[in-house]
Amino acid sequence: MNRVAKRAGAVILLVVLLLAGLTFFVTEYVMQAADWAVFPGSPHVYYAGNMGIGAVTDRDGILLLDMNDQREYSSSEAIRKSTLHWIGDENGNISAPAVPNYSSQMVGFDLVNGLYSYGGAGNVAELTLSASVQKTALEALGSYKGTVAVYNYKTGQLLCAVTTPTYDPLNEPDLENDPEGRYEGVYMNRFTQSAYTPGSIFKIVTLAAALEQIEGVEQMEFVCSGSQVYGVDQITCEDVHGTQSLKDAFCNSCNCAFAQLSGLLGQQALQDYVEKLRVTEPVSFDGITTVAGNYQAPAEPVNLAWSAIGQYTDLVNPCSFLTLMGAIAGGGEGAVPYVVEQVGNGLSGYQAKTQYTQRVMSTEVAQIVQEYMRNNVLSKYGDDNFPGLTVCAKTGTGEMDGDRASNAMFAGFVTDAKYPLAFIVCVEEGGYGRATCVPIASAVLTACKEVLDH
Amino acid sequence: MELVESLQHALPTYVNVYIAVFRYLAPALALLILLRAIWPLISFRREPEIWAWLCMADGKKHAITHWENVIGRSKRSDVVIDLATVSRSHAVLTRYDDGSWTISDTDSPGGVYVNGKKVRIRALKEEDVITVGGMDMTLQPISQKQARHLAQLRTKASSFSASVANILMLTIFQVLCCIGFLMTGAEGNGQNYLIGFGGIMLSQWLLFVFYCFIRRPSFEVETIAFFICTMGMASICTVVPGEAVKQFASMVMGIVLFLCVGWSLRDLERAKQMRYVAAVAGIGFLLLTLVFGRQINGAKNWIVIGGLSMQPSELSKICFVFVGASAMDRIMTKRNIFMFIVYSVVVCGCLALMNDFGTALIFFMAFLVIAYMRSGNMGTIALACTGLGFAGVLALKIAPHALRRFANWRHIWEAPLDGGYQQTRALMCMASGGLVGLGTGQGWMRNLFAADSDMVIATVGEEWGLIMVVLLIVSIAALGLFSVRCAAMGRSSFYTIGSCTAAAILIVQVILNALGTVDVVPLTGVTFPFLSNGGSSMLCAWGLLGFIKAADTRQNASFAVKLVRRKGGQDE
Repeated sequence: MNRVAKRAGAVILLVVLLLAGLTFFVTEYVMQAADWAVFPGSPHVYYAGNMGIGAVTDRDGILLLDMNDQREYSSSEAIRKSTLHWIGDENGNISAPAVPNYSSQMVGFDLVNGLYSYGGAGNVAELTLSASVQKTALEALGSYKGTVAVYNYKTGQLLCAVTTPTYDPLNEPDLENDPEGRYEGVYMNRFTQSAYTPGSIFKIVTLAAALEQIEGVEQMEFVCSGSQVYGVDQITCEDVHGTQSLKDAFCNSCNCAFAQLSGLLGQQALQDYVEKLRVTEPVSFDGITTVAGNYQAPAEPVNLAWSAIGQYTDLVNPCSFLTLMGAIAGGGEGAVPYVVEQVGNGLSGYQAKTQYTQRVMSTEVAQIVQEYMRNNVLSKYGDDNFPGLTVCAKTGTGEMDGDRASNAMFAGFVTDAKYPLAFIVCVEEGGYGRATCVPIASAVLTACKEVLDH
Repeated sequence: MELVESLQHALPTYVNVYIAVFRYLAPALALLILLRAIWPLISFRREPEIWAWLCMADGKKHAITHWENVIGRSKRSDVVIDLATVSRSHAVLTRYDDGSWTISDTDSPGGVYVNGKKVRIRALKEEDVITVGGMDMTLQPISQKQARHLAQLRTKASSFSASVANILMLTIFQVLCCIGFLMTGAEGNGQNYLIGFGGIMLSQWLLFVFYCFIRRPSFEVETIAFFICTMGMASICTVVPGEAVKQFASMVMGIVLFLCVGWSLRDLERAKQMRYVAAVAGIGFLLLTLVFGRQINGAKNWIVIGGLSMQPSELSKICFVFVGASAMDRIMTKRNIFMFIVYSVVVCGCLALMNDFGTALIFFMAFLVIAYMRSGNMGTIALACTGLGFAGVLALKIAPHALRRFANWRHIWEAPLDGGYQQTRALMCMASGGLVGLGTGQGWMRNLFAADSDMVIATVGEEWGLIMVVLLIVSIAALGLFSVRCAAMGRSSFYTIGSCTAAAILIVQVILNALGTVDVVPLTGVTFPFLSNGGSSMLCAWGLLGFIKAADTRQNASFAVKLVRRKGGQDE
């Protein structure tokens, strides 16, 4: 019997195998359960492709969406419409990944309790957006398609990021049957997912490149006769600007002067500088990665000139360009925008932390660009459009192919220490940047100022 | 009934509070119940039973502590005689149920002599002089009086009060479960919950009363089984409440089978005879399935009779253990296990034809345990494993669905909508449950295919938490350890092999089921003993538990072990 008893040890081997497998699983569980619990498809967490638990508020605690039973939106139609692209719709047609990015904090996942919450209610996600500014921006944009965004370049908090067209999630229009194209691209968050021909706001990039690369460029004179001829092609200006300094040329948004600058810089320098400024690079925050822009410096001088004034094949994403504005305002480096301030609280919660961009230009160059952009507002756009704010900015008009009207663009920042705001306004087929965008920026920045004063 | 109705219409606040409290209470209670059941099994003092004394010519006395004892020169022998004339394994001394003894020669070169006469096998009488390798000895069986005295000195397995306390706690647990389901479940299912949990409760008390009647109050392995059955019932109440009554009926049949297996093992000679019946029945069940079976979910292992479906291959497992178990005299004289290998090949062949990969693997592991315990020959085992390797590769080539399972193994997150669908959901649900679960009836896992059978561990994990899952798995591991510990005091190798093989089958099933569900091993679709919904599986689990119970030689522990008789014929 002794030997049979000893051979019974074979069963120990199986017991060891079982317990080793169990230990392996428990280790995996401890390391990965937070991901497993919220994996896309979990009915505990999602409902029709969007979060199905918890609530979302704006920066002041105003309820935007309660997902605990039915999806219950804000009682204000304007707030519902202006925040739709950040909180998603009923049917999951609009992808709003920022809040689901914190789904495990949203459902209050912890290892002990799993997804359990008393009575089944989830946590609250607080966005950095201000419902009142969103509302103002939506109203300011009116029937235009486009996007308006403002962020605090010191902290990264997005105060406003509205995209149009939008709709009321409680009263969804017939989006299938839309002959006039009023709802073209309605499911897209234009702030993060679109790329526009920048037009003259791109001159900020060329200016920065020239300031850094061309010695004595500020003392140079640029002559504008209304057009710059390149063989059979030419670059034209709206006016004949005559002889002007770099500062004046930037203020006049003189195409001829910037065409000359492109010649002085050359293909490689422009290409390198666009990369250095990361203006076409996607920005990532809260689980969102924006679309990339496009810049390819061509060899032909005329095309290089077009590319230096924001035409040719240039494309920029509004969020990436806004980040560049933040970096210039911050003296060469700024905060990366984000939209989710905190989710839940305690150990299992999430609290946003400011992330910074790499340094994209020297402090000296950033200061000169700031000064030039300030000059634009003082000389051209009207400082009284922005009461109580020291605004630096540049307008742009992105010309479109065919019969379509130009895209109007406006980007800049506020240098007051109390209001560290950078902004961008993109209006599709909005015509001239100055006429269309300045009033919008004026309304939205004033609303932001009120929020910060409050 | 009024109480049931008021529970079913309880205010949401009460329901929420109940869930909030019970989700912590349940694992705590489970831990207490299972610790109290498991600890005695893995920590009991191993006191050998003394059956006789072997008195040597030189005056030395060897205690004979088993019913089957090898006499030889080898250090692994039960009675070691270090003489060059003695073979390594020379003879086997065997005790029978009626207290008689035999000595048999294991074909040793020196031979065995009784009263000077060379014998092959011989029943021993008092004063007979046995000569092994020139050494004379006599066997002195202990007297009835000595036996009673020794039995009194031995520690009892488990006291009546300890068992009652444990069953009481289990009952409280079951009542709390039932209340939880009454509060959260659909109103029409009240009866199912009551019969399901109430039935288990009643069965465990009835079985214990029966045990008390025959003076075997030890209830540890049964407590484990009833506890796992309770968790199985909880899964069924969540997934398919309508099948609660059916599962309860299966459990009752299982307990009957458990008692039958135990009873047949009570008499070793009878048990040895049962081997032949079992051999025929085991193959018969499989052939029956092959001829009349129906293919469900890829495997042709179901027989449907009048709406009732069953898997006879589950019962074949019990037969296989009977066939594989063997007494020592046989092991020592017929060293080759050729016939058993042939039998195993036929069984595995039938399973291959049925396309039941999981069950074939379980049989193969059982075969390995039996083959090793009988032969102790690692060469045989290595050969068998190589054979399995080839057969496995071949099977994977032939059966594409099996290959797909292997292809998904450790890659489930890459195909969450395809091959990894079930397991990703299972892990998601288990993670959702955390350590203590979401509460009775609060899970989502029920919407998934096989949530009460092959993937049952995820249902438990979601509603009862990871602690409960770990406890269930550890309980089965404890049965394995218990079998190994009992082996040292085994009366006959028949019991030891039977119990270890039964434990091995239970453990392999848990490995394949639980670890398969969580993607640690490939998913093969086998049941978790006592836990999974399924009548045949329940029968099999209880039947196998009979073998484990029969090897428990602790004093007053097992109904399958006869006690020393008093003069009047009563057990002591």
